[in-house]
Amino acid sequence: MACSLRRPALAIVCFLSAAAVGVGLLASLEAQSPLAERAALSERDFLTRIRRLTVEGRRAGEGYWSKDGRQLVFQSEREPGNPFYQIYLMDMASGDVKRISPGIGKTTCSFINPETGDVLFASTHHDPRSKQLQDEELAFRASGEERRYSWDYDPEMELYVRSAKTGMLRRLTNKRGYDAEGSYSPDGQWIVFSSTRQAYERPLSAAEQKQLDTDPSYFAEIYIMRADADGSGPKRLTNVPGYDGGPFFSPDGKRIIWRRFDEAGLIADVRTMNLDGSDERQITDFGAMSWAPYIHPSGQYVLFASNKLGFENFEIFMVDIDGKKEPVRVTYSDGFDGLPVPSPDGMQLAWTSSRGGGREGQIYLAQWNHQKALEAITNAPPRKGPK
Amino acid sequence: MSARRFARTHARLFAAVLVLAAVIPAAAQTSVTRTYVETLASEKFAGREAGSPGERLAAEYIAAQLSRMGAKPLPGRSDTFVPFTFTAGSKDGGSRAVVGQTTFDTTKDVIALSFSDDGEVDAPVVFAGYGIVVPETQNFGYDSYATLDVKDKIVVVLRYFPEDADQQTKGILARYSDLRFKAMAARQHGAKALVVITGPRSPNAGLTVPMSFDTALAGSGIPAASVSGAVAAALFAGAPKTLQAIQQELDSGNPHAAGFPLDKVSLSLKTSLVRETQTGRNVVAYFPATSPAAGVVKPWIAIGAHYDHLGLGRNGSSLAGKEDAGKPHLGADDNASGSAAVLAIAAALSKQPVRRRNLIVALWSAEEIGLVGSAAFVNAPPVPVNQLAAYINFDMVGRMHDNKLAVQATGTSPIWASVLERANVAAGFDLTLQEDPYQPTDVATFNQASVPSLNFTTGAHVDYHKPSDTADKINYEDLDRIATLASTVVRRLMDMDEAPQFAKVEQSSQTAGRTGVRVFTGTVPDYTSNAKGLLLGGVVGGGPAEKAGLQKGDVIIEIAGQTIANIYDYTYALELLKIDQPVKVVYMRGSEKRETTLTPGARR
Repeated sequence: MACSLRRPALAIVCFLSAAAVGVGLLASLEAQSPLAERAALSERDFLTRIRRLTVEGRRAGEGYWSKDGRQLVFQSEREPGNPFYQIYLMDMASGDVKRISPGIGKTTCSFINPETGDVLFASTHHDPRSKQLQDEELAFRASGEERRYSWDYDPEMELYVRSAKTGMLRRLTNKRGYDAEGSYSPDGQWIVFSSTRQAYERPLSAAEQKQLDTDPSYFAEIYIMRADADGSGPKRLTNVPGYDGGPFFSPDGKRIIWRRFDEAGLIADVRTMNLDGSDERQITDFGAMSWAPYIHPSGQYVLFASNKLGFENFEIFMVDIDGKKEPVRVTYSDGFDGLPVPSPDGMQLAWTSSRGGGREGQIYLAQWNHQKALEAITNAPPRKGPK
Repeated sequence: MSARRFARTHARLFAAVLVLAAVIPAAAQTSVTRTYVETLASEKFAGREAGSPGERLAAEYIAAQLSRMGAKPLPGRSDTFVPFTFTAGSKDGGSRAVVGQTTFDTTKDVIALSFSDDGEVDAPVVFAGYGIVVPETQNFGYDSYATLDVKDKIVVVLRYFPEDADQQTKGILARYSDLRFKAMAARQHGAKALVVITGPRSPNAGLTVPMSFDTALAGSGIPAASVSGAVAAALFAGAPKTLQAIQQELDSGNPHAAGFPLDKVSLSLKTSLVRETQTGRNVVAYFPATSPAAGVVKPWIAIGAHYDHLGLGRNGSSLAGKEDAGKPHLGADDNASGSAAVLAIAAALSKQPVRRRNLIVALWSAEEIGLVGSAAFVNAPPVPVNQLAAYINFDMVGRMHDNKLAVQATGTSPIWASVLERANVAAGFDLTLQEDPYQPTDVATFNQASVPSLNFTTGAHVDYHKPSDTADKINYEDLDRIATLASTVVRRLMDMDEAPQFAKVEQSSQTAGRTGVRVFTGTVPDYTSNAKGLLLGGVVGGGPAEKAGLQKGDVIIEIAGQTIANIYDYTYALELLKIDQPVKVVYMRGSEKRETTLTPGARR
């Protein structure tokens, strides 16, 4: 099993290969979770004026705010000829949307530098095969076949930054391996990201090579580097088998939150650590796929997505910053809800959802009731864990 | 929203599945739409039925509002009323039957059927049982004409279908027992006229068929009348069997119970039908561009909504319960709300310092009886339709629930998703985009005319087409928001140099034509036409008709050997078609008679 980005899912299809295992696993979890817990609260307690923000194109997701909340950067497939994501910047006042990535190849995981407004994202546009891969993907789609999963951890993926001033692109990484899922520290000085580079830097055993061929994300680890770096000397922060990805800084810039998959790639949990990789803490323990964490600007709690309630039914949950309480469910809609990102003022939530129908996600936006969220977290029982 | 063609069943469906909003808080008095809705949906306008005094008053109110904003009559016109005529109903104009020496000339005894041709026929008489012909394709042998020669004769048939047949037989025969079908079968067999008797064993025994409201205007091609039991008795004088006995025999459903000549009597039949034509009024004004339209492709843009509704609900599409029947259908949501949105947008854009396109503001009448007002406009456009960059329609936008707004017909241009996304970022609706432009509202008219179009709607509800669709149930706060969003969209369209590109949407088989027909021809009949034959209001992109070279404006006069006088003939003829089996189509393009071959597809 493999999947994408700072998150597994949006290619919700991608779980099919593991679905049989997962459903059994989660069915047993479901039996343990008291129904009363779900009946007490509903989506409308936390989210009001829910609405679909992106409507153009086949899919969109991963919206991240600028520091002033006036812009949202996201990825979307919306232009003819390229079946892969490109990066778009939306002006939240005028509604203007412009593409800021090159338009060719694959891109993913954008983030706006809080200080400069520069946009960080990962791209493969330098790969001379880009156009060919686009055409192949389009032909594949036209054939009507469906593939098991769609995220390939392309080792051509490199981090780029687009200057807000000049619009010029600068390449930040230059190592074979998937370099992506990057985000800035609050002061804009640091970048934390996920990379599979270690698998390409050293000789692999036969078993490891097979692993790389089937699921390269297994080798993904968290790295940190200076925002002005040229790709030299990122520091590796994690060293555990299984996909480490989706890292973000805490609002005070002192810690990193991310998610780690187990070796089988089925169970993921949210963790935090210091900027040097020390003091690792596990925040969630559903025994399910819990990922895409983002810390609310108050610093008091974490929003994340989990398929605790059904293998393909991802919902957003929230949990206190130390993970001592039982997480509280936020969304109550069929299909996919994930990748929650609160606005800088903490009063809105952007997330990715398939609630509009179909398998593909779009970005949704709602008013976020912070007070109610705090109450619910305070009133939550102590954490139970999977056993 | 028009119920004439599709919406009646849909409405019930909607009503059944709708989860209704709780009480909607009263909007602030500063609402930009509230006064318009409350006025249009007031008792004074009595439901604004097309052609009624209420419609006239409503049109005058709307014209006054537009005038107050500074809107002008369209070029070449002296006011903003654009009248059109339509058929509102029919009555008998003195039909008469002379049987032997006896003359019957009251409507109690003889009354023309609503689709009759006018005429006078003096001819031999043949009784043809129930007058039903089931197409061979049904694999069910039933042909009332099998052993009869009716050429140049007057055919007498029983109304309805065999009474005592088993359910399945009845089910099949019922489909072909519509009097339209019976008239066509008689005509196809060469009969000069049709006389219908309500048999002694049937419901309404001995009674004539009341004149029905029938807006599909074209006649059946022959005189057709129903007659009373007294006339029937005269016709059967000297017949080998009594009518009672004959009907009993036929009622078993036995297809071999044959008809016979009524050769002991003579019959002279005169039919006369007076179609009641009324005048409806669209109100259409425009705000001229503020600057010369240099560089602007297609310098016109239009916004519109229908302002008519069902009046007292006497004409078919009312869903009023028994206790409410006959009360004014005030139509606050349908479509005072859309009219109010259009007026509010016009008011906002009238103050726009720069308008690079001429903005047409159109309030349509006679939408509820089949998009008649907008069709009249497009068929005789005061401004060339191909100079319209876009048309934006509003139909039922006053019942927003849970921030959900549907925008329909977004498939008519590749620009729409992007325009709507941008405009909605600030407006903040939970948008649903529906590509299908074949909607039961005026947006369909403009789609047929290849104008990139949109329809905004908040959807149907339990008060749909009922007197309870009142102004106090309108969500004015969100109606105002819709007007603001649409103003942004229209402003953007007015400012663009380029015009949106039109894209043809293939019609899904669910909305194409009549249900129950299994083949798909991809024709879009013009239901408002008076033409002899079937006038095409359009053809479905990629459908069999388009592939056969048919186009909007063509009049089909024969298909698969069946002559076509009207929509009912056509519907019947469709039963004869087989999937993938090519058939000859004869049609008129202008005054030129042409032929083509059409290969029907399967309905999915």
